[in-house]
Amino acid sequence: MSGKSTVFIVDDDEAVRDSLSWLMQSVGLSTETFPSADAFLQGFGEDRPGCLLLDIRMPGISGLELQSLLRERGFRLPLVVISGHADVPMAVRALKAGAFDFIEKPFNDQLLLDTVQRAIEHDRQERESHARLDVWRRRLDTLTPREREVLQLVVGGASNKQISSELGVSMKTVEAHRARVMDKLQADSLSELVRMTLTVAHK
Amino acid sequence: MLPRRLLQPLHRLLACLSLLGFCAWAQAVQPVTIGVLSHRGDEATLNHWTKTADYLSRALPDYHFEIEPLDFDEVDEAVGRGTVDFILTNPAIYVNLEVRHRVSRIATMKNRWGEEAYNIFGGVIFARAERFDLNSLEDLKGGTFAAVDETSLGGFMMALREFKESGINPYRDFIELSFAGTHDKVVMAVREGRVDAGTVRTDILEHMAEEGRIRLNEFRILNQQHYADFPMQHSTRLYPEWPFSKVQHTSNTLARQVSVALAEMPGDAPAALAGNYAGWTIPLDYQPVHDLLLELLLPPYQHQRQFTLLDVLQRYWAWLGGGLILLLFLGGMTTWVWRLNRALSRAKQRLEAQHALILDSVAEGIYGVDTSGNATFVNRAMEAITGWKAGELIGRNQHQLLHHTRADGTSHPGEECPVYLTFTDSVPRYVEDDIFWCKDGRSIPVEYSSNPIRDRHGRVTGAVVVFRDITERKRAAEEARQRQIELAHVARLSTMGEMASGIAHELNQPLSAISNYTRGSIRMLQSDREGLREQLIEVMERVASQAERAGEIIRQLRRFIRKEEPERKRVDLNHLIRELVGFLQPELRRAGVVLRLQLSEGMPRLWAHEIQLEQVLLNLTRNAIEAMQERPADGRILLIRTAYNEGRVELVVEDSGHGIDESMREKIFEPFVTTKEQGMGLGLSISRGIIEAHGGRLLLDDTSGRGTRLRIVLPIEQEGAL
Repeated sequence: MSGKSTVFIVDDDEAVRDSLSWLMQSVGLSTETFPSADAFLQGFGEDRPGCLLLDIRMPGISGLELQSLLRERGFRLPLVVISGHADVPMAVRALKAGAFDFIEKPFNDQLLLDTVQRAIEHDRQERESHARLDVWRRRLDTLTPREREVLQLVVGGASNKQISSELGVSMKTVEAHRARVMDKLQADSLSELVRMTLTVAHK
Repeated sequence: MLPRRLLQPLHRLLACLSLLGFCAWAQAVQPVTIGVLSHRGDEATLNHWTKTADYLSRALPDYHFEIEPLDFDEVDEAVGRGTVDFILTNPAIYVNLEVRHRVSRIATMKNRWGEEAYNIFGGVIFARAERFDLNSLEDLKGGTFAAVDETSLGGFMMALREFKESGINPYRDFIELSFAGTHDKVVMAVREGRVDAGTVRTDILEHMAEEGRIRLNEFRILNQQHYADFPMQHSTRLYPEWPFSKVQHTSNTLARQVSVALAEMPGDAPAALAGNYAGWTIPLDYQPVHDLLLELLLPPYQHQRQFTLLDVLQRYWAWLGGGLILLLFLGGMTTWVWRLNRALSRAKQRLEAQHALILDSVAEGIYGVDTSGNATFVNRAMEAITGWKAGELIGRNQHQLLHHTRADGTSHPGEECPVYLTFTDSVPRYVEDDIFWCKDGRSIPVEYSSNPIRDRHGRVTGAVVVFRDITERKRAAEEARQRQIELAHVARLSTMGEMASGIAHELNQPLSAISNYTRGSIRMLQSDREGLREQLIEVMERVASQAERAGEIIRQLRRFIRKEEPERKRVDLNHLIRELVGFLQPELRRAGVVLRLQLSEGMPRLWAHEIQLEQVLLNLTRNAIEAMQERPADGRILLIRTAYNEGRVELVVEDSGHGIDESMREKIFEPFVTTKEQGMGLGLSISRGIIEAHGGRLLLDDTSGRGTRLRIVLPIEQEGAL
């Protein structure tokens, strides 16, 4: 986990950019401003927590283009789109393409701040679940093939007896494998073991 | 009659023979024939007159005079043919000869009665003495009457005049009117009772009585007249005695010699005694004889009244025929000429009508002017346009009537009148915009041409003016101008509609910023942080600046949508471009277009409709911006350039866009032609209309596919033009 969440503000209008930044700072959010999508892409080197606040209609690379470019690069920064009344269809497209939310100008400052906070929170949770999944995946990677087979059968709902007959090993051997799997995966209960295995399997 | 007719040539033969016979001694002797009316027979005549001829032969030795007796009906022929040189006849015949054959009397005979001589005579009407029943001429009606001859003066005509005056027509009122041929026979006829009464000349009865052949008391005289100096019995007025006359061919010299010889003849000369006369006197006046003949309508006055159509035809049939043919010919000719004239007159009328028709069917007013400046002809259109009637214009000074005053109210001197100038320098003129004054005092705008009229020798005799009322055209031009303004206005509204969302966005920006700043500030104040005051002051500065920014946008917007001014004014083109660019800046920024301005400083101002010109600029720049949307972001360049050269201002709007297809180049200025998905295709069409209305041109330069370059060329016009 790397540091504090930042609101990245991209707007070609300096006054709008600066005033948005001031508004975010007023609630203690840290901000970084960019005059264009290009400038943002150049300045945004690594994946950092926070959210991207973007005017959908901009000269140069448009909001929608920036969104897809970020996806290609594997950045999951949630996108909050600000749109004028006339640009609502564009905002809807952005939403369909995975933007977090959109706000129509003129906006209520509280609504904007709430949305930005939600986006940051969403990003934080996303990052946490991703981090947990990584831990689980690394733990699963430590299992031997025989232990994986046992895990599979356990998650599938088979009893120790069924597992011993399935694998052709003794009950004692099955129990030893189960204990080693629980240990390696650091699971406290069978239910936790099952949830962990299924989550990793589906991601 | 016969013996005398035989005698006459015999006489002539004898005369010739004697002439031949005596030619040796009478070489110079010329024969002279005196024709004598033989009223009492040839023998008596010769007896009477031979001595007179002899007298004359002796008096005029160079001539030999001979008597030729002539019957009443032979006289005229003899004189007419000239077979006699002198003629001695009664006055009536003389008067006829005078008229018909130009004989002229040279002496009048004096008649002898006893010892007295009388040169007058009359007629006597008588009956036998025992006819007591016959007392007046009236009493003779119903009786028989004898006279000498119809042409005998004393023996008939004199009596006839008296009868007529008494209301008696002898031819009708007498049972029988006979002509005895000689006086003696008449006397004898009365005496012997063969007729009731008769008439002879005076002295016949007296002579016969003297000769013993009758007695005067055997007779009674009817209508007896008494004339103191005339002793003989007579019943009629008295007339001059026989005249001795020369025939026309007879020389005056001979006539004078004969006249003198006769006048010198003594009253008792043998010739006079033989002729029973008493010598000769100077010729008397024969007017009484003329009067008598005229009254009786006898020759030469027989045609005075009785000339009937038949007479005319008979007498003058050749002349009449010829005259008639001539008349017919003349009539024919006259008819032909008349018809020809009528045909010519019709042709002339047709031509004139055609001429008038052509003149009157043209819509233009046409009139002629002579060199004094007076109208000579006028067509119907002119009457209709000006209200002046042809009669009021022709012969009057056209300048005084039609263009005495200019449109601006100042007087238009006659010597500056283009029509006047046309026939002074013979150069045709065309005047595009002038006024003519109508009869009712209105003025109408006209264009007219004035051309000199020349005669056959090339001299200018005036001018013909063709003019047209251009009220409608002017109104149409004004309407077109008005439509142009309206179209520009519509285009402007359309542009504004297209730009509205952009403008709204533009206005939203500072408003959003203000909102963000203030909301942020409020939150900051609520948190009461360190160093907040300085931060807030700075932010409030930005807020004010953003509010001003919004105000500026609104100001521009208001300027853009302000009420359009209909009049032209002085426009600084560069200034106009800068203002427009300021207005377009957000749009340029959003479109990622780099603007380059190359404005030539120190250009004169244009005389133009500022708003219309701005609309053209807006159309061109917005087209240019749109044309570059497909270009890479770093390749969008808009160039606006101005230049001034030779009284003309040039404005170029050039983009680096996709350019215009060759197929579209010709069409882009047409209305409703567009290359844009959302375009009306009116921008360039309206723009060109505006520029052309300013006397300029809007051109598409050939850039060979590299972008589009539009060029406006505008003249620097004087104030007041257009």
